[in-house]
Amino acid sequence: MGAEGESIVSGGSIGGVEEVTVNIRCSNGSKFSVRTILSSMVGAFKALLAQNCDVPAEQQRLIYKGRILKDDQTLDSYGLQANHTIHMVRGSAPAGSSPAAATTNTGNPTITPSVALGGGSNEGGGFGGNGLGASLYPGLGFGALGGTGASGLLGAGLPEFEQVQQQLTQNPNMMREIMNMPAIQNLMNNPDLMRSMMMNNPQMREIIDRNPELAHILNDPGILRQTLEAARNPELMREMMRNTDRAMSNIESSPEGFNMLRRMYENVQEPFLNATTMGGGIGNDVGSNPFAALLGNHVGGAQTTDGSNSPSTTGSETTTAATAPNANPLPNPWSGTGGGSQANTTTRSNPTGDAGAPGIGGLAGLALPELGNTFGMLDPSVMSQILQNPAISQMMQSLFSNPQYMNQILGSNPQLRSMLDLNPQLREMMQNPEILRQLTSPETMQQMMALQQPLAQLNRQQSTGEPAQTGGTTGTQNNMGLELLMNMFGGLGAGGLTVPNTPDVPPEELYATQLSQLQEMGFFDTQENIRALRATSGNVHAAVERLLGNPNQ
Amino acid sequence: MQQVMGSEGSSVVVPRNFRLLEELERGEKGIGDGTVSYGMDDADDVYMQSWTGTIIGPPNTVHEGRIYQLKLFCGKDYPEKAPGVRFQTRINMSCVDRETGLVEPSLFPMLADWQREYTMEDLLTQLKKEMMSPQNRKLAQPPEGNEGGRVNQKGLMLKCCIL
Repeated sequence: MGAEGESIVSGGSIGGVEEVTVNIRCSNGSKFSVRTILSSMVGAFKALLAQNCDVPAEQQRLIYKGRILKDDQTLDSYGLQANHTIHMVRGSAPAGSSPAAATTNTGNPTITPSVALGGGSNEGGGFGGNGLGASLYPGLGFGALGGTGASGLLGAGLPEFEQVQQQLTQNPNMMREIMNMPAIQNLMNNPDLMRSMMMNNPQMREIIDRNPELAHILNDPGILRQTLEAARNPELMREMMRNTDRAMSNIESSPEGFNMLRRMYENVQEPFLNATTMGGGIGNDVGSNPFAALLGNHVGGAQTTDGSNSPSTTGSETTTAATAPNANPLPNPWSGTGGGSQANTTTRSNPTGDAGAPGIGGLAGLALPELGNTFGMLDPSVMSQILQNPAISQMMQSLFSNPQYMNQILGSNPQLRSMLDLNPQLREMMQNPEILRQLTSPETMQQMMALQQPLAQLNRQQSTGEPAQTGGTTGTQNNMGLELLMNMFGGLGAGGLTVPNTPDVPPEELYATQLSQLQEMGFFDTQENIRALRATSGNVHAAVERLLGNPNQ
Repeated sequence: MQQVMGSEGSSVVVPRNFRLLEELERGEKGIGDGTVSYGMDDADDVYMQSWTGTIIGPPNTVHEGRIYQLKLFCGKDYPEKAPGVRFQTRINMSCVDRETGLVEPSLFPMLADWQREYTMEDLLTQLKKEMMSPQNRKLAQPPEGNEGGRVNQKGLMLKCCIL
């Protein structure tokens, strides 16, 4: 008997791949068996099943061991074995009528704002909106919408753009999933996690290998935590930035200091940028001018007319469109304290064009690509005047708070439009006034400014250091790179905003798991444990080292 | 002789691992009423703690045609103590926490009065019955199409690392 059975099985084997019998159990109670090879794809398996039952392949939903089988996986990847049973359910027809189905449909980009709004507020709630906001911010100003969007979400903006872009464009579900995850909050809050993310990027690792100093920074949970902390707290951020500025000018004033700065720029910043942009999937879009032109026309163009007449039309639109009133009064985000103090510091380090720097920083927050154009061309004083004008800020705000107007801008650029068509979620984001409102809140603005201003300064120093000194050509090239970096940091800044509540979490709660781990290891002094965990931002190993009286390790 | 065997049978306590292996086989072979499915997440997990279950929405209710995925966690003291049960698919149900998807033991009698004879299959079947109960069969449900809407943090981390 046994031998007979064996011979049957071996008879079915073709070139070492054995056919096995798999039982199918339908939801209506009927059962049947099919023979298949375990290395076949689920999709092909469904087609096979369709021949044996009346359920077409696209309506089949297969469940095995409690898991829903996905078409692009093989059967054995789910651990399927001979004589095991797969459950089959007849799913709903592919053309679903529910709004959720409509939003997931990639092929059909015509999503009305109302649907998008419903989808957006449905799941993620306030948080989801914030997360989106973070990604939208750099994305809006920059070409690689999908990529920078994701980098914004990830906070540090360090993952490879190409992969992100591909993943996101090919799989809008993924984007949605990421947005829907409340756990993103935890991610932002966990420097350990951030570090592991960075270390997982091979290019980042390479940079770190080449620059041990950098590795130290990235390996130090304290610094990372500080960065995150700073991103969360505008005050702290400004403070840090001022310190950096001062240090920078000190270095600069010493002999060889300037060259050192330049070397640093070349050694660190450029590889950084390469790591983040390496072979960007939509390579042409990186720093491409259509976008600069787009926003330059709509935003900058209106500005150069000094914003006296054009805002009046958009302004009137705002009153109807801004359904969610801005909780914070927003007269002029750029003339705030942040801008003022920065202007001071820049004066010290570089008297030429100091007025332009904060202006550019501030504007970059809204329309980063414009930086590239305006940097060399626009008179700094004109620029600062424009930005000091409250009408401009109002116009900016109305621009962002009016979905229709946004749409118009987005629709008027073919490249941008095609990108949106690929990513319906992005479109949703753009059309959600709530998100846009959050983006234009003064806090966000100031954070962005604070982050970008010193970078602009660094870049300026760099460009003036070039022997050619033309500024037009070398300057713009540098600005390309700078834009990237700014996007990165912009993402960080805006990303930090998405976790406004977390500092209030008591450390006992925040480090609950780590605390229990430490307890298990025999460290019973809870207060001491908390202190150690705080100092190491929740790294249990580091905390143990610290508790054992070896704080340097 | 038979009596001895019988009395012995009732006093013998099936160890955790045997019990879980038994359940694993039932899940893989699809023994049972065929409307629930379950299996271990990680075949290499020697403690057999983390399980995934699926409930096919019962007919003539709002749940019809839906597939609900759940996570079951069998602690070291299973089957003495009830496993933790959490819906991964969003569901609106009286005994399920709307945010976390956790099945509240206090609201679900089977978990509250857990007996060691109960299996995960019983649990899933009972949850399915609960879906058919008058208070649950007509409850408005969140839109479909977000399986794995709740992704645990580990999954998220992985995803981000992949990115």
